Amino acid sequence: MSDIQIGLLSILGILLLIQSGMHVSVALLLLSFCGVWAMKDNGIIAGKMLSLAAAESISSYAFGVIPLFVLMGLLVGASDIGRDTFDVCNRLFRRMRGGLGVSTVAANAVFAAVQGTTIASASVFTKVAVPELIRLGYTPRFAVGVVAGSSVLGMLIPPSLLLILYGIVAEVSIGQMFTAGIIPGILLAFAFVVLIGYLVRRHPKFVGEGALKLEKPNPETDASAMELAGLISPIVILIAIVLGGIYGGLFTPTEAGGVGALAALILAVVKRRLSWAAFKDVLIETGYVTASISFLLIAAHLYANMLALSGLPDFMGHWIETTNIGLVGVLIVYLIAIILLGTILDSASIMLILLPLVVPVMAKLGVDLVWFGIVTVIAVEIGLLTPPLGIACFVIRANLEDDRITLGDIFRGAAPFALTMLIVLALVVAIPWLATGLL
Amino acid sequence: MAGGPGMVTPKGGSIFDRLSASLNVLGSLLILAVMLLINFDVFGRLLFNEPLSGVPEMVRLSIVAIVFLQITHTLRNRRFIRSDVLIGRMLARGTPAGYLLQAFHHFVGAILLAIIFYFTIDRFDRAWRIDEYVGTEGDFTAPVWPIYLIILIGCAGTCLQFLMHLVTDIRDARRAAGKSS
Repeated sequence: MSDIQIGLLSILGILLLIQSGMHVSVALLLLSFCGVWAMKDNGIIAGKMLSLAAAESISSYAFGVIPLFVLMGLLVGASDIGRDTFDVCNRLFRRMRGGLGVSTVAANAVFAAVQGTTIASASVFTKVAVPELIRLGYTPRFAVGVVAGSSVLGMLIPPSLLLILYGIVAEVSIGQMFTAGIIPGILLAFAFVVLIGYLVRRHPKFVGEGALKLEKPNPETDASAMELAGLISPIVILIAIVLGGIYGGLFTPTEAGGVGALAALILAVVKRRLSWAAFKDVLIETGYVTASISFLLIAAHLYANMLALSGLPDFMGHWIETTNIGLVGVLIVYLIAIILLGTILDSASIMLILLPLVVPVMAKLGVDLVWFGIVTVIAVEIGLLTPPLGIACFVIRANLEDDRITLGDIFRGAAPFALTMLIVLALVVAIPWLATGLL
Repeated sequence: MAGGPGMVTPKGGSIFDRLSASLNVLGSLLILAVMLLINFDVFGRLLFNEPLSGVPEMVRLSIVAIVFLQITHTLRNRRFIRSDVLIGRMLARGTPAGYLLQAFHHFVGAILLAIIFYFTIDRFDRAWRIDEYVGTEGDFTAPVWPIYLIILIGCAGTCLQFLMHLVTDIRDARRAAGKSS
């Protein structure tokens, strides 16, 4: 059997084992280990590569970003900063039709600038925005849909865990990935606002009659401008520190994570929003997320080495060049693969399985890897909103206190938002400047 | 995907559980320490023009330590990332097949962690004997062997945890078989 065949068989085996429910990291380690053994005909080399991957693949300063941004995101999530942001946005947009929906998108966009996971956004805004939307007469389906849709902004607007993972696997600077995510993130937020406007006008039944009622200012109960400024200032400070620090050239992304996490901790303590027990939970959860993602990265590193050894990426590159299917053809196949994997896997795993195979091919074709990363992240994120495995939708279901809203409602509510993402994805593919313009 | 929401370690439990919970706490403290270290470095540099030396090396080693300190407990709480579409359905039906499949997954996990453990012993031994270090002589140096030791502890713990899950799976499978017959 040739090395290339061994490489192909390993990928097939990995997909089968993952489908059967084996831990993704274990499946990657097992088949990579067996693949190296078969190619080198030597178990000792395979074992040494395995232990080398464990010790060396995550041993880098850049990996510090993972626990630090996860910690910061969880601290921000635990300290009610999401609710405050939502309240302030609500004041700004309540005179618009569908204003509360727009507020949800805007608050998510701002919240996304201080934390990097869709799951955090979805769980916070399910508790904050959904009850308020329903109370004011929006349909439950639209309420959960808009929360699910706008939660994906968490992964696109920097800092973002997926952009970090992409930077690590594709060996692109994480700072560059963060810069590239800005315009597509803002574009997506605007597209969602336009979508809400369209839905209110054309499909008022889907949105609910509440969207047509405009709330009047009430000088007696409304918070004053000073109070609003007080509510919004913590998140503004955090954004200034993290993004200002990175783009201003003061910090590396790892440093921004460290300073941002400490600032979030201090703000939560000063505002008396963080109990000792909650802090312990945040720390433990940070550990779980860090360990499971990093172990997956160790496995993906070994898998990438095994693939490189098999020569499969080179072979694919040649094959693509000779068949003339062109970049667009490759991209379409790639996007279909992402969608198919999206039916069995979460975003991080999809990226770690596909990228080691695809990035060398893309590099060979002369594709801008930063742009390719943004395309990948948006495509992977669409899977968060679509059945059967839309993680964002599952998180919302788990955080809902209203049993009448089913998972099916959430998927249906999120569908227009997933469609909008597809349009934005097509735009970024057609106009690469959107991702690379700020670099 | 990855099991339920974050769970706080229950008090008590077996000695092994308490050990893995303590490793988990150590890992969490190390995350906080890295956070503080980076802040000292950044503010030392920005305010007093005196960066802390050796921070990149310390962060680099700490990340590996954090992961291998947390990993046993992460597996204990079933937070390893997996696709549970198929196996979730099988387990929900309560037939022995689902538990046996899961037992196989845990068995493979145990073997792989044992392999990593075995091949890391050499690395640990070498780092210990030749006093391998990171950093630059005269500025900042840190020995590497403690990291290999932590990897060994993490692999051993995770291997055992896989085996414990395996035992549970087999017990569940036997109970399910008893029920259906």
